[in-house]
Amino acid sequence: MTDSSDYIVDLQQITFRRGSRLIFDGVDIRIPRGKVTGIMGPSGCGKTTLLRLIGAQLRPDRGAIWVNGQNIPELGREQLFAARQHMGMLFQSGALFTDLNVFENVAFPLRVHTELPEDMIRDLVLLKLQAVGLRGARELMPDELSGGMKRRVALARAIALDPELMMYDEPFVGQDPISMGVLVRLIRLLNDALGLTSIVVSHDLAETASIADYLYVVGDGQVLGQGTPDELMNSDNPRIRQFMQGEPDGPVPFHFQAPEYLSDLLQQEHKR
Amino acid sequence: MSVMSRVGLLGRAGLDTLSALGRSGLFLFNALLGRARFGNGFTLLLQQLYSVGVLSLAIIIVSGLFIGMVLALQGYNILVGYGSEQAVGQMVALTLLRELGPVVTALLFAGRAGSALTAEIGLMKATEQLSSMEMIGVDPLKYVIAPRLWAGFISMPLLAMIFCVVGIWGGSLVAVDWLGVYSGSYWANMQNSVEFVDDVLNGMVKAVAFAFVVTWIAVFQGYDCEPTSEGISRSTTRTVVYASLAVLGLDFILTALMF
Repeated sequence: MTDSSDYIVDLQQITFRRGSRLIFDGVDIRIPRGKVTGIMGPSGCGKTTLLRLIGAQLRPDRGAIWVNGQNIPELGREQLFAARQHMGMLFQSGALFTDLNVFENVAFPLRVHTELPEDMIRDLVLLKLQAVGLRGARELMPDELSGGMKRRVALARAIALDPELMMYDEPFVGQDPISMGVLVRLIRLLNDALGLTSIVVSHDLAETASIADYLYVVGDGQVLGQGTPDELMNSDNPRIRQFMQGEPDGPVPFHFQAPEYLSDLLQQEHKR
Repeated sequence: MSVMSRVGLLGRAGLDTLSALGRSGLFLFNALLGRARFGNGFTLLLQQLYSVGVLSLAIIIVSGLFIGMVLALQGYNILVGYGSEQAVGQMVALTLLRELGPVVTALLFAGRAGSALTAEIGLMKATEQLSSMEMIGVDPLKYVIAPRLWAGFISMPLLAMIFCVVGIWGGSLVAVDWLGVYSGSYWANMQNSVEFVDDVLNGMVKAVAFAFVVTWIAVFQGYDCEPTSEGISRSTTRTVVYASLAVLGLDFILTALMF
């Protein structure tokens, strides 16, 4: 185990398979406390899986996941649900409870985990909604919100219990430039104002690099590189350079694995 | 396909079935054991009793009425040939209390409430609402599943009782008010022949067993479904098919043991 004061999350030698596919093969990742850490990589490389491993919604085949000094895969059901109260996760879809309005969605964690009086819950909910700029939308139902607003309400709900660790799953996907800018600002602002630690999983390079203090690039079940955004931009590793520069072909091939082109075309001719 | 690969497929199907049975057992164990820490558990149960039980009342009452009426009509037509049409009340009551009440209620309950439970929970899973609940530190088994299970266990036997009562009343409408059977013999024959323990209580034991099986299947199918639109549709179909077959099979076993 590492010194828990420096790193809030410490993944050690994580191996994880989905069916026969190896997603992670002995991966080590450490998330520094109080910082915004970006986890980047091409689609399908297991970035979301990583968050689900930290949140214990999935179990690794091998390895340890230390969060705040607790090895998450070894926790019992009760301890796990207690540990999750210190984590917040923003899902890609927002995942708001569709039968509750905006106010009740944000109030939900407070109602189930605290016994605060109603007027204090109201104040706290309005405080969180004010932080994401949606205090005026408190009476709306989730299906009356735009995608960007949903994500902001979900963010307000995720920070309702003042978690120590916030995880963002692809927060910038499908956002227009304005709501993208709002989210980028919010993630950095909340991290610094509330003293959180944030993990941003994303493949949006510019946005993530602009707010992250530290970046990991994952792919092929491995950590391909890590460092500050500047260090990675100037990396001489061809794979990292391809990803950071957004080149369509390179060590990560443009073509999915396939038989040789000409023989594939001629195969039909032979059949006839 | 070679013989060995057929055997392999059979083995795989067997393993899948066993693993699903194991998962559903653990699911039930985790949902029902241990008390929820949420203060509003009773409110959650009341909400589910309303949507699972109260909203099923209409279909149960209307079906009960028609089944009672049809039983009386058929029974009268047969019994009148032997001059014993005054036994029609006894026949309607015994048929409803012993068999049709619990069985038809369970089948209707599977179609009306069971499919709704599966679809609702499946959609909550597909839209990551269950995952986000977990990450908020709330166990969906306690918060979403347990109230629905208890609501099913409580409301279905009550619905079966209502079904029987309405059916017997429907029978009297046809036999007494329409076909002219003497009302005294309709009710008195019923009173003489229906035993509380043998008929009423055994029927209710059946209803409780069916409630348990139908609700368990419905809720587990929702929770275990593949989180896609096809997955939810398959699970909803499975709920109705499995629950109906389980009810009919269990009914035979319970009847053989009880009567």
